[in-house]
Amino acid sequence: MSLERRTHDGERKDPSSSSSSSYEFTHAAAKAAVAQICESVGYNHFKDPPLESLTGFAIQYILQLGKSAASFANLNGRSQCNVFDIVLALEDLSSGEEEERVSLESCSALRSVKLREVIDFVKISDGEEESPFLQTLPRFPVSYDERRKRMMMVPSFVEVGETPPGKHIPLWLPAFPDPHTYKETPMWIERGLDPRGDKIEQARQRRKAERALLSLQRKLVCRISSGGGGDRVWGDMDGGTVKEEIREEAESEEEKVDGVSVVEAFAPALEAARDEDQMAWKQQKKKKKPVGLSKLRGEKKFLGEPLDLTLQMKGEDRPLSLREEDRDDKRRRAEFILRQCMENPADLNQL
Amino acid sequence: MNHGQQSGEAKHEDDAALTEFLASLMDYTPTIPDDLVEHYLAKSGFQCPDVRLIRLVAVATQKFVADVASDALQHCKARPAPVVKDKKQQKDKRLVLTMEDLSKALREYGVNVKHPEYFADSPSTGMDPATREE
Repeated sequence: MSLERRTHDGERKDPSSSSSSSYEFTHAAAKAAVAQICESVGYNHFKDPPLESLTGFAIQYILQLGKSAASFANLNGRSQCNVFDIVLALEDLSSGEEEERVSLESCSALRSVKLREVIDFVKISDGEEESPFLQTLPRFPVSYDERRKRMMMVPSFVEVGETPPGKHIPLWLPAFPDPHTYKETPMWIERGLDPRGDKIEQARQRRKAERALLSLQRKLVCRISSGGGGDRVWGDMDGGTVKEEIREEAESEEEKVDGVSVVEAFAPALEAARDEDQMAWKQQKKKKKPVGLSKLRGEKKFLGEPLDLTLQMKGEDRPLSLREEDRDDKRRRAEFILRQCMENPADLNQL
Repeated sequence: MNHGQQSGEAKHEDDAALTEFLASLMDYTPTIPDDLVEHYLAKSGFQCPDVRLIRLVAVATQKFVADVASDALQHCKARPAPVVKDKKQQKDKRLVLTMEDLSKALREYGVNVKHPEYFADSPSTGMDPATREE
């Protein structure tokens, strides 16, 4: 089957159709069906305009049949049509001659000539090979209707389980939309008290950090004050391991007050020995500086220094000789400061 | 009474035949699909849940289209064959559904279909009163 298309401007659009998309689809499907019927009759080529016209006629035929059948059913007080309505509609549409009209004696539908013709047609066609519609049509009335239905078929009050507001609204009507769709409903504020709690938590964590720093410094000072393995102490002052050791020691020697004052005394010494690399870390430590301690200690910035010292004493940045000189120098200074601190026991009690 | 009985019997027969026919409709699948017919019937207000009636309408439409097409085919065949230039080409010409045949076939159904063969500048362009008047 080949379609010879003459050039013509686009498809005819039925202005009375509700949606052009459905019209085009059904029209195309009807055209294919009509072409198939013509093929079964004997044609094997079609020109497009007559095919379009014939399709239009077939569609109009169906529409007229339906319209007449519906009106016949309504005349008899029914809303649903039955076979007799269709037979009457068939008779109505045909331009039969007088003799072939349905006899009024019996109301049987089979008296209808047209129906008999249809029956004969079916019998003949059944004898020939059946030619059903070749292409599988999707359930198109269902698909676009279903989409519309889904959009429009809001579940009724009964289905949703709601009671309609107002007795005048029956239950089978579609339910009202949820209030959040058309007005601003208050949202639940779940974290009402949390900002305060967050601040408290933050302060607690800060205090914890302060305590940890303090204990670390004490450990460091203890190490320094122990003095015996001076080189080793300095040399071993690795970032991680020393801290752990010192923490362990400091916990046992927490009461040792000497360490704290030494820390204070160390401030000038360590300031001198500061390196560039430790600047950033020191600043970081300064940020963590516990508020309480700074208040207690006043002007002296000592927090970061012992830790800076540990980094320094890793020995990564300095040559060996320099390191040794520094160590000696610092040791001397440390001893001097220690002696000084021993003379001021008052400060120690504050911590 | 007799007449009534006879008519009653005839009615029964007719009813039986009708039901038989409707049952046979289910075996025969019309060329026009059920969905399409149902769509157009719904568009015109026809409401019926019974598939057999929809098939009946589909078959009736198919019969209508087939009748028109067969009439047009006869017109097409009745037209004298074109001049054979090529010796190989036989008498069997291509059966093409053209507007002329269709308009002639539809005339008998009371439908006046005229396809303009060309687009004219004015209504009287190309009008040959002797031949064009049909």
